[in-house]
Amino acid sequence: MRKTFTLACATSLGIMAAASTAAQAEDSVFVGHLMDITGATGFVGKLYGPAVRDAVAYINANGGIDGTTIEMDSVDYAYEVPRAISFYKKWTQNDMVALQGWGTGDTEALISFVAKDEIPVWSASYSGHLTDPTGINPNTQKPAPYNFFYGPSYSDGCRALAQWAMEDWEASGGEGTPKFVHTGDNHPYPNAPKEACAAYAEELGFEVLPPVVVSLKPGDFKAQCLTIQENGANYAYIGNLGPSVVSLFKSCDTVGTDVQFMANIWGGDRKTMEAIGDSERSLIFVAANAFWNDDAPGLETVRAISEMADPDVDFRTHHYIRGICTAYYMKEAMEWAKENGGITGPNIKQGMYARTDWVPEGMEGVCIPSTWTETDHRGTMTVNIYRGTNVDGEVGIERVTQTTLPRRDDWLGW
Amino acid sequence: MATQSLRPCGDFRTTYRQDTAIFDTFNSRWAMILFLALLYVMVLVPILAPGVEETPVLSTLFGPFYNAQYLSLAIQACYWGIAALGLNILVGFTGQISLGHAAFFGIGAFGSAYLNNTYGIPVILSIPLAGLIAAAVGLLFGSPAARIKGLYLAIATLAAQFIIEDLFIRVDWFTGGSYGSLANTVELPGYDFSAGEWVTLFAFDTDPKFFLFALTVTIVMYVMAANLMRSRDGRAFIAVRDHYLSAEVMGINLTKYRILSFGISSFYAGIGGALYGHYLGFVSAEGFTILLSIQFLGIIIIGGLGSVMGAILGTIFMVLLPEVMAGGVDIIASTDWGNTPMITNGLAFFKEMAIGAAIILFLIFEPDGLAHRWRLIKAYWKLYPFSY
Repeated sequence: MRKTFTLACATSLGIMAAASTAAQAEDSVFVGHLMDITGATGFVGKLYGPAVRDAVAYINANGGIDGTTIEMDSVDYAYEVPRAISFYKKWTQNDMVALQGWGTGDTEALISFVAKDEIPVWSASYSGHLTDPTGINPNTQKPAPYNFFYGPSYSDGCRALAQWAMEDWEASGGEGTPKFVHTGDNHPYPNAPKEACAAYAEELGFEVLPPVVVSLKPGDFKAQCLTIQENGANYAYIGNLGPSVVSLFKSCDTVGTDVQFMANIWGGDRKTMEAIGDSERSLIFVAANAFWNDDAPGLETVRAISEMADPDVDFRTHHYIRGICTAYYMKEAMEWAKENGGITGPNIKQGMYARTDWVPEGMEGVCIPSTWTETDHRGTMTVNIYRGTNVDGEVGIERVTQTTLPRRDDWLGW
Repeated sequence: MATQSLRPCGDFRTTYRQDTAIFDTFNSRWAMILFLALLYVMVLVPILAPGVEETPVLSTLFGPFYNAQYLSLAIQACYWGIAALGLNILVGFTGQISLGHAAFFGIGAFGSAYLNNTYGIPVILSIPLAGLIAAAVGLLFGSPAARIKGLYLAIATLAAQFIIEDLFIRVDWFTGGSYGSLANTVELPGYDFSAGEWVTLFAFDTDPKFFLFALTVTIVMYVMAANLMRSRDGRAFIAVRDHYLSAEVMGINLTKYRILSFGISSFYAGIGGALYGHYLGFVSAEGFTILLSIQFLGIIIIGGLGSVMGAILGTIFMVLLPEVMAGGVDIIASTDWGNTPMITNGLAFFKEMAIGAAIILFLIFEPDGLAHRWRLIKAYWKLYPFSY
């Protein structure tokens, strides 16, 4: 026993020593990459995280940033903020120039760090308050000058859904005031758009009902479905992730709740629709890019990236494609930086402002044209709205509409 | 066996004072003091002499103490360690159980940030105050311990966990709601008499500096706990744990000591939480879930229930385990055969499972925890090569 223990100690020390020896390549820039594969948000984290990794591998294989290799350290931090911070500290000593982040927790925790260290971060947390880089909006608690994300914010996504819901209500000849309800766990992530979206829904003429708390973890939600039914909600926004959406569908199908569910950008995809199984109701959800089976020139690149990573995969969700878009915006911002003084954090940030209605090369028709400015980090106000159905196990995903919201000043950072 | 001492033959305890000494022998005391002094010096040198970590020979010496990741892990060990020690006072010494430790940890984090942001109390003072707030809340939620024990108490503290966790989201004025709240860095305030205003004397704004601060707090908290355990109150805790009926017969007020133990334990959690908050610079309600409470229990079980030393050993183990596993996974993924999507994705889960496996193995092979193993290792070398 004692020998085994000593041996175990020695081995683990050896492993640590070997793991900390990072290879330094010639002419390369270092990028940190936080993924959640095994943690609380792993359901979508394992779709989005590898996309960024695969895209960077593809970029490197095709010349990198005009010859400069992106050296990326992709780690699974299991959605634990202290571990994300510890990786971040390690990377800043490796002269990290940019960071690919993930969830609400780590992104919020790193806002002041990245601002101090001047490291641009692309998160997959789309909280509205990350979009105010200078704190123009008096409601912004903390300006986030180095935070970027690709796609509509949670608030804008929800606003677009509310707008679609009103159009749908009018088109279907509904009478009286339609009722709108927010469902989601009592957590920062589902709560992010709650107030902003409720305010806009009221502006549109909805009666906004008190929010219904639905756990982020899947479970039996019949009680919540009955509440939604009794309150007479017509449109319910879901701020959770796929597994919870599946449970909600199953529970409400059993109860027979008559409501149209609308999910945020992480709540709807083909895998979720497959898991829901045969259902009479449909799921309206937000997306920010073309889908795998669409017909867009940029999808060639997307397929090539997927092919290079794993030739056996014949389908990727829109989360994967959005991850690729995010990586490509970083790539082109770095290219701009390289031409304008070198690839450093502040230069990459300037690179993000260099273009308007910008689609990265090779991503035509895939990513929504986006514009970032020094005072407004809302890349796009355009929201794609999709409808997912499952009839007898046959999953159907179709685009319902593309909504472009006005770029209102009072919505900045909210 | 568990109380095996390294006292040399013929060295007897002749006074009560000697009997309750924290360190068994002269050597172990000075070894600990030297170790800590060396740690301070090694971290201080790169702060005082910037650039030393880049000079050829000295870099190998001071490099590890300048390495951001190591420092970050060490700081983690400090704040988790303080909170784990608190739980060990409650679970290991008093024999109560708490599944709500993470909630008190959170109260400390939010409390310190709130006091500093709202009333402008210097962080260095708001940290102990936050500990007191956490202690007050702990006393409140520990009060069921006056009447119930065992599994029922576990459920009562579980309620505390859920109630407080929910309040973190709802009580906007205190926690900032779902947006969380900002926490400033630790600063040493001073009064400039010529200008007549408060100034910052010294800011613990970088990792090496913060580590020194966290280490100091940790040492103070550990010395306090070790002293508590040899005081009248500490002995009362142990009596309550060992046999509550006998303790009561001996005149120990069970209600008082059970609830007091909750208060002290929450105080430690609060201090740990406050350090956590000020280190991260941001406190989010997401971090203080039941899983963290259970992780605290895991730490003290691995470290050794009822051992002050065990709390820190368990914490270090828990902090290093994911890093070591991640390192191992990286090595496999860097090989040709290991770098296929199926294996790399599977390994990520294997890593998480290994943490669970480590806990089970500890329970089977070392139920007394790392503290006991540490004593055995010391005894082995002390007696080497004539161990029989």
